[in-house]
Amino acid sequence: MLEVLRNTLFWAALATALVMVPGTLVAYVLARRDFRGKRIVSTLFSLPLVLPPTAVGYLLLRLFSVDGPLGRDTLGIDLDVILSWKAVVIACAVMATPLVVRTARVSFEAVDPRYEDMARTLGHGRAATFLRYTLPMARRGLMAALILGFTRAVGEFGATIILAGNIPGRTQTLATAIFSAQQAGREGEANVLLIVALVAGFAAVYASEALAQKQMDAARA
Amino acid sequence: MTDATPLHVRVRLPLDRFALDVDFTTTHRVTGVFGVSGSGKTTLLETVAGLRRGASGRIRLGATEWLDSEKGVRMPSHLRHIGYVPQDSLLFPHLDVLGNLHAGRGRALRDGNHVDDTLENVVRVLDLAPLLRRPVGMLSGGERQRVALGRALCSGPRLLLLDEPLASLDAGLRRKVLPFLHRVQAEFSLPILLVSHNPMEVQALCEDLVVLREGRIIARGEPRAVLTRPDVFPLAEHEGFENMLPARVLESGADTSRVSLGAGMDGPALTVPRSALPPGGRLLLSVPADEIVLALEHPAGLSARNAVPARVEKVQRVGPVCLVTASVASDAPPVVAEVTADASTELHLVPGTVLFLLIKTTAVTLYEDPSGTGSPP
Repeated sequence: MLEVLRNTLFWAALATALVMVPGTLVAYVLARRDFRGKRIVSTLFSLPLVLPPTAVGYLLLRLFSVDGPLGRDTLGIDLDVILSWKAVVIACAVMATPLVVRTARVSFEAVDPRYEDMARTLGHGRAATFLRYTLPMARRGLMAALILGFTRAVGEFGATIILAGNIPGRTQTLATAIFSAQQAGREGEANVLLIVALVAGFAAVYASEALAQKQMDAARA
Repeated sequence: MTDATPLHVRVRLPLDRFALDVDFTTTHRVTGVFGVSGSGKTTLLETVAGLRRGASGRIRLGATEWLDSEKGVRMPSHLRHIGYVPQDSLLFPHLDVLGNLHAGRGRALRDGNHVDDTLENVVRVLDLAPLLRRPVGMLSGGERQRVALGRALCSGPRLLLLDEPLASLDAGLRRKVLPFLHRVQAEFSLPILLVSHNPMEVQALCEDLVVLREGRIIARGEPRAVLTRPDVFPLAEHEGFENMLPARVLESGADTSRVSLGAGMDGPALTVPRSALPPGGRLLLSVPADEIVLALEHPAGLSARNAVPARVEKVQRVGPVCLVTASVASDAPPVVAEVTADASTELHLVPGTVLFLLIKTTAVTLYEDPSGTGSPP
């Protein structure tokens, strides 16, 4: 039981970490730059939000299958993704991407680009301006993106079960474990898992709200 | 003073309604760009700062080329060594005052400046010591401007760009901030390019003035002379033309002070609102042109405290009004009074006419630096 919770949190954290850096950069480019095909890029990054998660899972399955574009036959090496913990992380990461990118994009759009101009006149190049001024000014929205991405990853079900399956001790997560227990009629186990999910979810949201409040207070003081 | 690093600006940049198209070179310490809002002033400043794309032409400070579109040179903003103070300060909200002052420290260090000395100097000149640990959200408008100015100075700039440094402030704060600008002028030997739509601001600070209308230069020269030109005055009048006159305190009473117009102590005396300075202290008086009454004889039984003898230098018709420029003292700039064309005709005002300028004490605003270090020039 605890193992399921630990695995779920670990994989979700890994998935979030995987998404945050590229997701933030993509969000920044979408917020600041105009280029041809911007709307297409932006739509692609939002797609997992509107597709049935099982469709995303199936797409990933095709991608990583032996003869798929990222499969053994194409790459020459076997990434050994399907039905492994790596599959869980990949499925969670892909499903968390739209929330991270969209939330981060809004938080960057809320930062007046003139602050970046200001930083540049003070002698900071593009990268330094981004790291030392843009990121800290967008931090609250980025924190929200992180939390949203993480919670999405924790609760991921559809894509995970197709790409990673539901193998106890190997790829089973809280979401798939509840599904198994309920399907098999193991009500007691399902109840305990439900309580675990409730407590963990409550703690996460409570902590993030407290954090946000603290930041607001600090900003006001 | 004409000893500053020469700044050469020749740029063309298409805008929505017109094109910015200017060409000027200045070696003055403080050069002003005057124009109504929407005349392209801020765009010009941003182009010099390197924040506007699409500008063609040439910008050069001393021997350094910032822009030469023919040779494909376009130095990025962060290498131009500018201290930019925008109208709305743009202090970084995630840093406190000291953090903002340190924002340009990296560049100053790379240049081998004595950053700690500079910081100390800036904090002293701009009186920032009590503010250093404050979050920027807790600053008043005048304090924000001072911090923004300090931040620019601490970054070791070679050119200071000021965008309407006083315009966003109310009259009371303008009086407080102007002395700080004078101090910066006196203590940091930096060329300054300042844009403003406020005649008082440019007269108080600039030695050289460029007037911009719809992106083009329509006049250039000494600020008061330029602002009273018939083609420029209507732009200035929008804000109300104010005479900015240097003066020195003679003595102070309970409610008023007596001051001497001009640089010396023996100019024509005026009664003005009470000055905080000791006798001999230097200050700037601001007298709105349309608050001055002209009289051919010394009047009696008037509430106006001041009747200053003057000699008419110039009478210019500007639309429905006449601008009468009159000299009051050999070492003070002439005073401009705005009267109706009818009044001017009735009084037969011509160059050489001797008359009295009637100035109410309450019409005079004092600009002074109580600490005395930033005395107006």
